[in-house]
Amino acid sequence: MTYVIGEACIDEMDGSCVDVCPVDCIYEGEEKRYIQPVECIDCGACLTACPVSAITSPNDGHDRVWAVDNSDFFELALPGRGEPIGSPGGASSLGKIGVDTPLVTQRGGES
Amino acid sequence: MIRCDLLIVGAGPAGLFATYYAGMRGLDVVLVDSLAHLGGQVAALYPEKLIYDIAGMPAVKGRDLISGLVEQARSAQPQIMLGEECATIDDQSDGSVVVTTSTGTEIGCGAVLITGGIGRFTPRPLPAVDAYTGDGIHRVVAPAEEYVGEDVVVVGGGDSAVDWANMLVDSANTVTLVHRRARFTAHESSVDELRTSGCRIITDAEILEITGAPSVRRVLVKAADQDGIETVPASIVIPALGHIASLGPLLDWGLTIKGRQIEVGTDMATGRSRVYAAGDITDYPGKVRLMVVGFGEAATAVNNIAVVLRPDEDLFPGHSSELPRMLATESRG
Repeated sequence: MTYVIGEACIDEMDGSCVDVCPVDCIYEGEEKRYIQPVECIDCGACLTACPVSAITSPNDGHDRVWAVDNSDFFELALPGRGEPIGSPGGASSLGKIGVDTPLVTQRGGES
Repeated sequence: MIRCDLLIVGAGPAGLFATYYAGMRGLDVVLVDSLAHLGGQVAALYPEKLIYDIAGMPAVKGRDLISGLVEQARSAQPQIMLGEECATIDDQSDGSVVVTTSTGTEIGCGAVLITGGIGRFTPRPLPAVDAYTGDGIHRVVAPAEEYVGEDVVVVGGGDSAVDWANMLVDSANTVTLVHRRARFTAHESSVDELRTSGCRIITDAEILEITGAPSVRRVLVKAADQDGIETVPASIVIPALGHIASLGPLLDWGLTIKGRQIEVGTDMATGRSRVYAAGDITDYPGKVRLMVVGFGEAATAVNNIAVVLRPDEDLFPGHSSELPRMLATESRG
């Protein structure tokens, strides 16, 4: 399991993690960002860049719900998209995707 | 032309261990890396991180592991070429191959072992800079005195952007730092230094376009919270957005690429004659992307290469504890 972005990221649009990722594997949904688990190389650069400590490393152990949320973003066909995002090999080619996982959409609506 | 038995492309953990191993098998090695230092991403990205899953080392710092691997690799007396990228590969009639680097150096070798990890690092793309074809874009910063009288725009929010702005602020006519976020990821003390300097800081803003011919005259900046576009006079633009990894020229080597990886067989052969791969860059069913696996693959690859180059030798090299070369290395240390 690679690095995972958790709940604290919702509505936090700082985005420094994206700037420091050496493999461009942090994708932007609408209100949250997600780490592509296949593309992440476990370097840990994003961990210290995050201003709200939303990212957890494999050594710290993950909240299972958010680990699944990260992979769901790439493996599920998100609302309005016919196919899963999969592994495009770089986030900057896609830009802001503009849609979140059902879990995040639901939480965002509550706040 | 440089000649060797084995060209190893990538000087990270797998490449360093493969170098050692090739030496153990009596092969002459040239080791090339596009970075300016040995140790690959471990040295570049996490030298201070503790690593717990190296066999026989309960906990080892990235930099200490690399220093051990470098010492081990030196026993093979490799020719090391840093800051060079392997660009093209050509088959020769005798079965060997010639690899040409980005600077035009030709390396004739019996075989190539690609231990390129996540690929080579190149500057992170910035559309406005990439689209500009004139002069005045400095991806590598010159000594400060060369910026006297210049209007410099630095782009980025990390350590290199902030450090360069700080370095140039006293010598340049003006320095403007443009960062697309509100917050900097550079060291706090450097950011504090910048804020009290004469540097103009524009945050939450992106560079839309660079204009001027034959060299930079103006930079058009759009702040996220404003409708208008600001024109910043500039003679030099320094994009400092960090680096990003990609396979680069290896994509054109006729290998089977899957995502960011090269498909290999159980002998680490890529399917292209005399070209092998090991470490994070390989893929096959059941692959686990860990350094320890890369070390094993490096040994597998080198032993298989040794047999291809010298068909009368055994695949199994013998145990290192019984090899005189090893004893000699130990007695020197």
